[in-house]
Amino acid sequence: MSTTKASRIGEELWKTRVDKINAELVTLTYGTIVAQLCQDYDSDYNEVNKQLDKMGYNIGMRLIEDFLAKSNVGRCANFRETADMIAKVGFKIFLNISPTVTNWTSDNNQFSLIFEENPLADFVELPDDGRAQDELWFSNIFCGVLRGALEMVQMQIEAHFVSDVLRGDDTTEMRVSLVRYIEDEMPPEEE
Amino acid sequence: MSYYFTILSPSDAPLFNIAFGTSKSGGDGIARFRFPDSAQYMNQFVIHSSLDIVEEAQWMNGNMYLKHIDTYPPAAAYISAFLTPSGTRFLLLHQPPQPPSTSSTGGSSLLSSSFSGASSSRASSSSVAANPTSPQTEEAVRQFMNEVYENYVKTIMSPFYRQGMEIRSPVFRTKVTAAGRKWL
Amino acid sequence: MVVYSFYIFDRHAECIYKRRWLPRPTSISGKASRPTSEIPSSSNGVPPVFGQSDRTTDDDAKLIFGTVFSLRNMVRKLGGEDDSFVSYNTSQYKLHYYETPTNIKFVMLTDVKSPSMRVALQQIYINLFVEYGVLDSYPR
Repeated sequence: MSTTKASRIGEELWKTRVDKINAELVTLTYGTIVAQLCQDYDSDYNEVNKQLDKMGYNIGMRLIEDFLAKSNVGRCANFRETADMIAKVGFKIFLNISPTVTNWTSDNNQFSLIFEENPLADFVELPDDGRAQDELWFSNIFCGVLRGALEMVQMQIEAHFVSDVLRGDDTTEMRVSLVRYIEDEMPPEEE
Repeated sequence: MSYYFTILSPSDAPLFNIAFGTSKSGGDGIARFRFPDSAQYMNQFVIHSSLDIVEEAQWMNGNMYLKHIDTYPPAAAYISAFLTPSGTRFLLLHQPPQPPSTSSTGGSSLLSSSFSGASSSRASSSSVAANPTSPQTEEAVRQFMNEVYENYVKTIMSPFYRQGMEIRSPVFRTKVTAAGRKWL
Repeated sequence: MVVYSFYIFDRHAECIYKRRWLPRPTSISGKASRPTSEIPSSSNGVPPVFGQSDRTTDDDAKLIFGTVFSLRNMVRKLGGEDDSFVSYNTSQYKLHYYETPTNIKFVMLTDVKSPSMRVALQQIYINLFVEYGVLDSYPR
């Protein structure tokens, strides 16, 4: 499936199948969660990143079903198609954004998502404690969501942010790498 | 014209301070108060002393922008106020530059813009700078307040900002400076 | 049209939902509520009489899973990765199959004359399973 086709599907679904809610509600809710985590973990930002990823993972595992039910798309033929699907359909219908897919490695197993906009990070300014800018990945929940969602469709991936405009970088970029395709699970051996 | 802008919480805790000068008509945007540099706290005194009047004025009408509400003649300091619905106060002190020789201390005695440039020092020829109580000035301050308010709302929406905390955001400071440059 | 039974298997090959509607004894001759006769390795030799046997429903679910799992794999080998089987018939019943990309398997057994239930299974996934099974409280 081509990128443009994916974009079209995303557009269409966004218009017809998606319940909309106020963006600021999402932004503030997510912001509050992150801020609360920072407080709970005493500004141990590595731990906060980890927790966000974990929360995202649990979301992704469910969200994928909702995604499939809404979009009714089949299995992707390859990882490139998966990337387009994530960017142009997944992010589109859940957040109304379409990050750019780029920086493929030659083996087609790694790509970057560049977020021109990020509803989670509206209004956000990282704490000025001199560490958050270097340690906290504010939108780290995305990594977990992708990991959880793709795991459910038999892809083990690794995802992490490499830059974030909140830290003063020029772009917000997430790196996604395919680790392996997961084999079907067999039923436990009969006794 | 020199400006001193302060945001005060509903309980009078200062959340944000900035001093800047006019950028209109050749102003360089640097504040030059009549107080010696060692006495900048005078600005804060003057601003805080106007709080009683703000608290009276805020019940007079439903406007957020209260316009020019107080004057401190000895320093030719004029205070304009703006209230957010949640009771946060934006206060702007403006002080026309000291005329080098004349004694027209009170800003109100100055004529409106186009006539006032004659003897005064830098940056005094624009209407905004010259007469702190003219309608043009009121309007410019209103624009300034609104723009700051907009940015203030965005800033306190940051999840890491806690209510009543000092606003330390460099972005906000930049935005206020820009608003000052744009309108004042 | 008669529906005999309905199963959902999650991706861990576990039966997470099953429901049987036993046929009335007065219905057509020798109708079983479960797919027993197509399992060649069935060693217990119990004939499918009116939904009664000494197998438990758990065993049924396992047999069903084994059947669709193997069949699906064979179909993929023959027809390519994207191919999937939709249903099969025996002389006794018809088995309808729908699998989501997340490997959730929906299986429904009906009488042989039933039309394709693929759309119904898909709708069960989209409208019921996702809403009540996943977004609500996914069993884990």
